[in-house]
Amino acid sequence: MTLDKTLEHNFVELLEKHQNIVHKVCRLYTNNQDAHNDLFQEITIQLWKAYPKFRGDAKFSTWMYRVGLNTAITLYRKSKRKIKTQEFEAVSFKIKAEPYDDTEEQQLKLLYQAVKQLNDIEKALVFLYLEDKNYSEISETLGITEVNARVKMNRVKKKLRTILNP
Amino acid sequence: MDELDLLKKDWQKTSYVDNKQLTSVDIYPMLHKKSSSIVKTLFYISIAELVFWVILNTIPYFASDEYRAELETMFHGSTWILIFTIFSYAVILLFVYLLFKSYKDISVTDNVRKLMKNILKTRKVIKYYVLYNLIMAFLSISYGMYESATNDPEVSAQFAEFSDKQMFVAMLFMIVGAGLFIGLIWIFYRLIYGILLKKLNRNYNELKKLEV
Repeated sequence: MTLDKTLEHNFVELLEKHQNIVHKVCRLYTNNQDAHNDLFQEITIQLWKAYPKFRGDAKFSTWMYRVGLNTAITLYRKSKRKIKTQEFEAVSFKIKAEPYDDTEEQQLKLLYQAVKQLNDIEKALVFLYLEDKNYSEISETLGITEVNARVKMNRVKKKLRTILNP
Repeated sequence: MDELDLLKKDWQKTSYVDNKQLTSVDIYPMLHKKSSSIVKTLFYISIAELVFWVILNTIPYFASDEYRAELETMFHGSTWILIFTIFSYAVILLFVYLLFKSYKDISVTDNVRKLMKNILKTRKVIKYYVLYNLIMAFLSISYGMYESATNDPEVSAQFAEFSDKQMFVAMLFMIVGAGLFIGLIWIFYRLIYGILLKKLNRNYNELKKLEV
């Protein structure tokens, strides 16, 4: 196998393993399946283009958060390219089985809808928070200070509360 | 419980369903698709702009002997023209260098804020290049009109019949006309970039607002 092929093979293997991160970014930043697929495609291109410079000292998943968010927030423009959709027609996420709770279900639905109404930067903060990143990682990914990340996060929480209880 | 903590609990249990997960067979072709990123669009626009202004400045000179001869009689082969030509090419080279450098600085692995800052820096280089060309175009049009009014026998004969007041109005019309024409092109550019970079500017300002 040539060096290029090995690189490609390694990359595809890593992406296949960590693809949930990209799907989750797409889930937050898009509203339909076509847009989801298109953003997934663009993030994959950006990851692949940056991969030769990826140094093993950063975790692949950490590196993916950065490239994924950068693409969703800054680089991505809706494209007209055709995406092969027969592989995944509907954006579907599954939740591991737990006792069914109607009120919690309803609350979650409203919460997801509220998060969708946030702006791009606020969504990024929420995304990193949901992914259990600490404030130091959040501030590093966004390029703001840790104090500001906390301040902004509190504002986002308040904003969500206002959206939920107008 | 905090709303976000409830969401977090759910989010972490959630994964893209297994039968919709992509396999390496799906991913391989994705690597070779064309990117539609804003940086790529900006890059093509900046190249188009460089080429457009270079062509606009040079083609008439090389394409028409008549135009060249006319220019040469008008400026009497002055050394000023030579200096001006060298200066314009030096400016183009400087812009090509600055553009190349700012594109090299754009990295998708930088933090969100730095990436946005670097893209906007590239946009600024193009903006100054366009502005430079428009100012030069305005100066050349005004100077060209002044030269033809004083040196071109036909035009100057016509101007000689004008009273001072008529002369002043004619000059004013020409300069305001040239200014309006260039102003319109400038508004057009602002509009194109305004639309193209609307999302980026909004997000950059959102982050910048935090630092105040």
